[in-house]
Amino acid sequence: MVVEALSVLRNLPARKKEEQAEPSILLGGSRDLGLDTLKLAQDIYDQFTADPRYKEYVLGCLNCGECTTGCPAARFYDFSPREMLQVAMSNDPLVLLNAMHEKIWACCQCYTCNMRCRFGNDIAGIISVMRELAVKNGLDSAKEVLRPYTRILLKVMTGGTQVSPDMIQPDFFVDWGPDAVSKASDLKTLRKAIPIDVLQVTDSAWEVSMQTSLELFQIYQESGVIDIVRAVDPDLVEMITDIVDEWREEFEEMKEKYGVR
Amino acid sequence: MSSPRILVVGGGPAGLSAACDLAEAGANVVLVEEEGFLGGTPKKLHYSLIAPDLKPVQEVLDPLVRRVEQSGVEVMLNSEVASFKGSGDGFHVEVRRKGGPLESHVFDSVIAATGFAHWDPHKKYEYGYGVYPDVLDFKDFERMLSEDNLRRPSNGETPKRIAWLLCVGSRDKQVGKFYCCRMGCVVSIKQAMEVRQKHPEIDTYVYYMDIRTYGFWEDKVYWRSMEEFNVKFVRGRIGSINRGEDGRLVAMAEDTILQRPTEVPFDMLVLATGMEASRGTVEFAKLAGLELEEHGFIKPLQSDSLPVHTTVEGIFVAGTATGPKAIPDSVSEGSAAAMKALNFARRKAVAERQQTR
Repeated sequence: MVVEALSVLRNLPARKKEEQAEPSILLGGSRDLGLDTLKLAQDIYDQFTADPRYKEYVLGCLNCGECTTGCPAARFYDFSPREMLQVAMSNDPLVLLNAMHEKIWACCQCYTCNMRCRFGNDIAGIISVMRELAVKNGLDSAKEVLRPYTRILLKVMTGGTQVSPDMIQPDFFVDWGPDAVSKASDLKTLRKAIPIDVLQVTDSAWEVSMQTSLELFQIYQESGVIDIVRAVDPDLVEMITDIVDEWREEFEEMKEKYGVR
Repeated sequence: MSSPRILVVGGGPAGLSAACDLAEAGANVVLVEEEGFLGGTPKKLHYSLIAPDLKPVQEVLDPLVRRVEQSGVEVMLNSEVASFKGSGDGFHVEVRRKGGPLESHVFDSVIAATGFAHWDPHKKYEYGYGVYPDVLDFKDFERMLSEDNLRRPSNGETPKRIAWLLCVGSRDKQVGKFYCCRMGCVVSIKQAMEVRQKHPEIDTYVYYMDIRTYGFWEDKVYWRSMEEFNVKFVRGRIGSINRGEDGRLVAMAEDTILQRPTEVPFDMLVLATGMEASRGTVEFAKLAGLELEEHGFIKPLQSDSLPVHTTVEGIFVAGTATGPKAIPDSVSEGSAAAMKALNFARRKAVAERQQTR
């Protein structure tokens, strides 16, 4: 609802600094957005502009549209890198929040816009900052977008940084053609045909020692990655924690057994 | 008191204007020009009509050339300044005529009117210049218009739809040209008007991000192009050129008013190539020890109040050597520099006389 109501604000000129806290739609008196939305928008806006990358990535815009011309996402979705840059420059928390609900997820991070931009903006970069904030703040859109990646995150966060062949399944990739589906149907045989040493299994790319996995988990925990993932997918975190707890017990038993301290 | 000896380097609009004003004021003027003719880049690249009055370039420049030839200026064509040394009694300059010996001269003051060059659009590969024969730049298209030979280089047919893309090699951090070329808008629109005047059946589209037809060009060129010639304007830049199935060009652009990416077929694309300092400007600045400003042009002593003084006393500058400029601006700057150069030479002569007394 908020999203639709706000889409009209997209092209409003930036307002002066003092007026930032009062979004234009309220000044217009047309709609009460509720304090929660306003507060969330303001919080995200503050985090966004305080990010050191903001000043570096967003320089200015001549509105020439060369970024959108080269954008593969713009050809298929209601999305344009130029619009995203305008959003980043808009000084309007609600406009920013609105874009973060849906539009920023259309970007495929190919960085063609950056290559084209004659003003030197890092447009794909500022979109990835917006995505980070959507995840950190647990926006529904982030939850929905990241849902298909649960399996991959589970693997990566428990088994080290690896993507194993069995993660790539037709159920998760609705845009696969029949050819790709048939090719993926007999992964085991295909895997065995690869001449180099890839363990020739489908559930792992390489072997990661239990100690490495435990250390990795500790890094995720202390660097805040676990908190970020929890914001969008608490179930996944619970699952990972269970697995790691089990491993930890096993690891301690092993240490005891072999007299390692 | 002998007449002051003054060197003018460059025979374009600014140099011509400076040389004939100086000669008419009684100075001994040597005009050094690297090409075999006078008239500078407009003549060299066969410009067609000149905005805003859409006068042929000959009508604009030939009277100036004639005045120079009739006013007793010593014109040295096919010549280059080979060495340059300033000292107490003047500037010691050696000029080399192509294939000839060095000629030594001493001058009381010097005017650099060394001009500009069009930016090379090969460097912006996504516009396909040099790849697709129907992608042209300003110099190609002006020549085509002045020779009244409007045909697609690819197949010799008369085009049905022509697009112009503004700001190629200007206002672009990627290619290191941060400045506006000032002329791209008006020249492109002028070209579109010229096309529509001769061939009303050809559709003309100008892709722009800003139209900067400053001053009187606004109504005399920009508005008139729409009112009288039905030139179409698209607000958005072409980001890349592809080849269409029928050999036409496909311009990929965002229409920033409709806010959607577009693909439009054209028979020809003209790139509005910007201005940069010419090779002659850079080389002469190096020889004479003139400072360049951040965009690569010759730095005026004060860009606001002393626009034709350089950082070296006794050397003055006029025209596009200090930055993008239109022909009338160059002509006025030539006259301004002539006045300053003459005054400098006269003051120097007075000071010398007082010393010897």
